[in-house]
Amino acid sequence: MTGPLLVSLRVLALSLPVIVILGGWIGWILARKAFPGKMLLSLLVQLPLILPPSVTGFYLLLLFGKTPFLRHLGVLFSFPALVIAASVPAVPIMVQAARAGFSSVNSEYEDAARTLGKGEGHVFFTITLPLARRSLLAGLALSSARALGEFGVSLMIAGNIPGLTQTLPLYIFSRVETLNFAQAHGAALLLALAGFSSLYAVRMLEEGRRR
Amino acid sequence: MLHAEFTCSIGDFFLETSFNLGAETGVLFGPSGAGKSMTLRVLSGLKTPSDGEIVLGERILFSKAKKINLPPRDRRIGLLFQGLALFPHMTALQNVAYPLPSGREKRKKAEEWLKRMKLEGLEDRLPSQLSGGQRQRVALARALAAEPELLLLDEPFSALDGPLRRSLRRELRRLQHETGIPMICVTHQAEDLCSLGSKVIVLKNGRTLDTFPIERLWEKGSRGEAWNALGWGNLFRGTIARCGDGAGFCFTGRNVRLALGNCTNMPGEGVVFISPDTIRLLYPSLPIDPELQPNIFSGAVQETVLSGNTVRIYLETDDGIVWQSEHPAESYRELRLEPGSRVRFSVPPSGIECWIRGEAREGYSPPNFA
Repeated sequence: MTGPLLVSLRVLALSLPVIVILGGWIGWILARKAFPGKMLLSLLVQLPLILPPSVTGFYLLLLFGKTPFLRHLGVLFSFPALVIAASVPAVPIMVQAARAGFSSVNSEYEDAARTLGKGEGHVFFTITLPLARRSLLAGLALSSARALGEFGVSLMIAGNIPGLTQTLPLYIFSRVETLNFAQAHGAALLLALAGFSSLYAVRMLEEGRRR
Repeated sequence: MLHAEFTCSIGDFFLETSFNLGAETGVLFGPSGAGKSMTLRVLSGLKTPSDGEIVLGERILFSKAKKINLPPRDRRIGLLFQGLALFPHMTALQNVAYPLPSGREKRKKAEEWLKRMKLEGLEDRLPSQLSGGQRQRVALARALAAEPELLLLDEPFSALDGPLRRSLRRELRRLQHETGIPMICVTHQAEDLCSLGSKVIVLKNGRTLDTFPIERLWEKGSRGEAWNALGWGNLFRGTIARCGDGAGFCFTGRNVRLALGNCTNMPGEGVVFISPDTIRLLYPSLPIDPELQPNIFSGAVQETVLSGNTVRIYLETDDGIVWQSEHPAESYRELRLEPGSRVRFSVPPSGIECWIRGEAREGYSPPNFA
């Protein structure tokens, strides 16, 4: 089980920065900017959340397998494909949380900081980010759990290659297929615990906000 | 010192402002929706005007012709927001230290400012743990710590009442006196205007109607030309004294006599201001609330003006005084008011603002906050 666990943790470590930066950035844009096509962007971004993973996986397969330049990168059925598969469905969760978090920050605080002589970057890191902190952390907890538990898209574009692209959820699937329930139990318990801790973290953040 | 001349539009609202201000306190005065807050946002750089020029001292802050538009952080203009905008995740000390450059002096300077605003011992409180008056002073300390060359105050007293309001006004006058920073204060209350400002900038429907020194309000005539420039509200000059029966204070002007509610301990030559929305029209068939009994007048509707959701009614009494009253458009529909209709109306004593001549120039005493 150590092999798949390590693969899963490496995937999580590499997909988290993508989720946080991309999800946070799109969330911020949706919360603060007005531009033509905003509605379309917000719908497109949410799409991976409700599409069946096989459909998302199928389109990613086409994108990385048939598009001229991307095809030559050799992403499919390799470790990078796992990171993409983990990120794509998790980013929308982060986007939603970040959008809610940034919208909840009264822009008067930011304006006040500007009139006190501070530049945009300073205002963002000292005012906007700390005030949106709880929503962002809750989004981080939920999207990490989603990334860690990613199964369908990974199977479609990264396969289930032991030692290379076999993550914990894929490992459980393989063990059950070979009727090796004891090993499946161990891995399943680990993921269930991770999911529970993530929900607990979100709950605590919500409680803190209300206080 | 400050020269501002600009036009700016948001949606279908158009603002056209032009005024000059020296090292003094200017008061932007006008009814709600006149463009007062927007003027402050333009001056501080939070809103970009479509045309014009803003010059502070030697520095051009904005010039359409020269393509200059300094961002808020470089303008050195402090803005005290109506809601104060204290950072909720920072303590009083951290709020005040925010504009200060980082270094060893930072904490010391912030502590000095808190001390100066009589907030010692409250350094580690969050804004939510402070009283209204304390929050107001933290916000002032923070704005002043940035060492602005001009301080803008957006309805600084709107959340406060009575004694707290008066002591903060004193505090502001003291700070203006000590620091010499010119200030522009937004208000739609005549009392603030007269006790704070040295220059009045009258705004109405997005236009600067007039700019004049506050003293002109005291010029002879039952209603000074200056006040008429504003064209809003009911203002009378006269004498404030104990009523005949000694129960309270009354105001006696040339043609009008009013029982006063809030104005105690201030006999002398004075002015009363009645905001149009405090006037109540009376239904002929209904009993009258005791609160409305003291000042009842009778007159004829001269004109009704509907603007947005409010209707303004000009009422002329038999001795020729024209009163303005304002109501939500749907009120008093049953009275079927049209020009010429007779109507009785009341001026509730509690809604009368009054002050005596010279209050604006009184010496300041140490603030006494609740």
